[in-house]
Amino acid sequence: MIDTTSTHSLAAAGELGQSIRTSSGRWKDRKNRLRFYNRAFRVICIASAIFVCMILLSILFFMFRTGVLTFETVSPATFFFSADWSPENESYGAFVFIFGTVALTALTLLISVPISIFVAVFLAEVAPAWLRNALRPVLDLLVGIPSVVYGFLGLTLLIPLLRQMTGYDLADGILAAAIVLSIMVLPTISRISDDSISAVPRKFRDASYALGATRFQTVFRVVLPSARSGILYGVILGMARAIGETMAVVMVIGNTPQLADALFKPTSVLTSNIVMQIPNVPFDSTWNYALYMMGFLLLVISLVMIVVIRVLQKRGAKA
Amino acid sequence: MKKWFKTLGIAAMAVALTTAGVSAAGAASSLSGKIVINGSSALLPLTLQAANEFKKLNPKVKISASAAGSVTGPQAVRKGIADIGACDWDASMDVPGFKKFEGQVANKVAVIPFAAVVNKNVKVDSLTNKQLADIFSGKITNWKDVGGDDADIVVVNRAFGSGTRVNFQMKALNGADFMTKGSNYKEVKSSGDMKTAVDTTPNAIGYLDLVYVSGSIKALKINGVAATEANVINGTYKVWGYGYYMTKGQPTGATKAFIEYVQSSKFQNGSLKKLKFIPVSAMK
Repeated sequence: MIDTTSTHSLAAAGELGQSIRTSSGRWKDRKNRLRFYNRAFRVICIASAIFVCMILLSILFFMFRTGVLTFETVSPATFFFSADWSPENESYGAFVFIFGTVALTALTLLISVPISIFVAVFLAEVAPAWLRNALRPVLDLLVGIPSVVYGFLGLTLLIPLLRQMTGYDLADGILAAAIVLSIMVLPTISRISDDSISAVPRKFRDASYALGATRFQTVFRVVLPSARSGILYGVILGMARAIGETMAVVMVIGNTPQLADALFKPTSVLTSNIVMQIPNVPFDSTWNYALYMMGFLLLVISLVMIVVIRVLQKRGAKA
Repeated sequence: MKKWFKTLGIAAMAVALTTAGVSAAGAASSLSGKIVINGSSALLPLTLQAANEFKKLNPKVKISASAAGSVTGPQAVRKGIADIGACDWDASMDVPGFKKFEGQVANKVAVIPFAAVVNKNVKVDSLTNKQLADIFSGKITNWKDVGGDDADIVVVNRAFGSGTRVNFQMKALNGADFMTKGSNYKEVKSSGDMKTAVDTTPNAIGYLDLVYVSGSIKALKINGVAATEANVINGTYKVWGYGYYMTKGQPTGATKAFIEYVQSSKFQNGSLKKLKFIPVSAMK
């Protein structure tokens, strides 16, 4: 054992000496080599960047190419504005799902944003340091819980509870889904808001207190408005997660293609409808194309949100 | 260090030699080829068990099996992706919602019984085909109309395209249409979800493969006949369907041998029974 180690180190030393000799002896050689390395590295970096762009573009392209075939048999007006989705009878109105997705996201934000902001204010302004240091990691852990776990808890705990409280027979629907999603996005929104509130300069608060403002006035008139763009960033990130969420939603929403005009009515959204139907649809059918079109819609919505996030970030950096 | 490597090398060679020896000894059959199986998830346990046993007898045959919805089976066969498409209905004929697949041959491999199931709190024990059809189409909405308590009926259905749904509609509801809307109606995407939904929702009714039925939910009698294997075999319980292996034309080569193995009385009366399917030969 000892034997081999010593030979190894000897060999290493020899190599080292050699490399020093060549580099100092023929400096031009080294320069060429370096130039080659630099070039190669540059090419690899650019190629990787192009590769990522290609993936995004090809996903967009293929989703669109298959999705757009829907409009060979279904008019866009029917697809976007008809609420009658029964593929077995050749009616492909996706309005139910588009409306469901919008309504579900709105309801989720209505529940989760106020709570998240209060949590963030508590963490950044009120809580003592030891509690803050204990709570932040807890919230970070909550972000990492897989959505299927949330869905399962929603199915086995939340829905029976809602049933007892409201007296409905089923209680599946948009409210149950919104509550589950709110719990899911709450840690995301509150942690990002917390960070942006903490980043508000201390002098703002000092100035506010110096003018005789109470703590409440300072938080709501000074701190929150200055942290606005960061909070908005968190809200949109949470919104994007809520829109794309599938597993948790499909378990509690009831999966029935009818308009979500009541809180406790089984309904369906874009994601849940895709995952419910895609295993059972014939390959080359309008039905299949319509599902692709719905996927493309989701993709476009989330891309728009990401663009909005970038714009907000830029504005935040300027402020 | 070097000695270490040497021992390791010898050990590795020894292992390789032994495995080679074993597989050489197992090579009793000269059949070779590759079989791809796709389709119904209800038949997957059966397919996997059969594939394991078949590979032991024919080590040169490679079998890969996966599953999604029933309709993907015959579709994959038509597209040439799969050699065998497992399907819960005879895809060479028209069924509610699906056209027949031209040029495909349906090979019966098992009998799958289905049961109408209700939550434990439901007092009703038996329903007729007519009553079931009325409940699932939304004409009867209260349990008291079929002899139960005064409570709304919650209908749980499988998504359109499910093989279980097709069979239940044909055999238990006499082809009646399902309801599609209402505040006491929901759809689920798999047999497991169906079981959870019926189990946790009071006053719920749904339907399942008989193998999924266990203590926490109640299987209904249909027309007074209990959903048991014995009643399926003696012909009194009508709600069952064949599980099919769809092939493009008559099967050949390794595919043919595999299907014959699954249909053999050894497999049918052995592993297939253990997996709670009913042998095809038991039906007259």
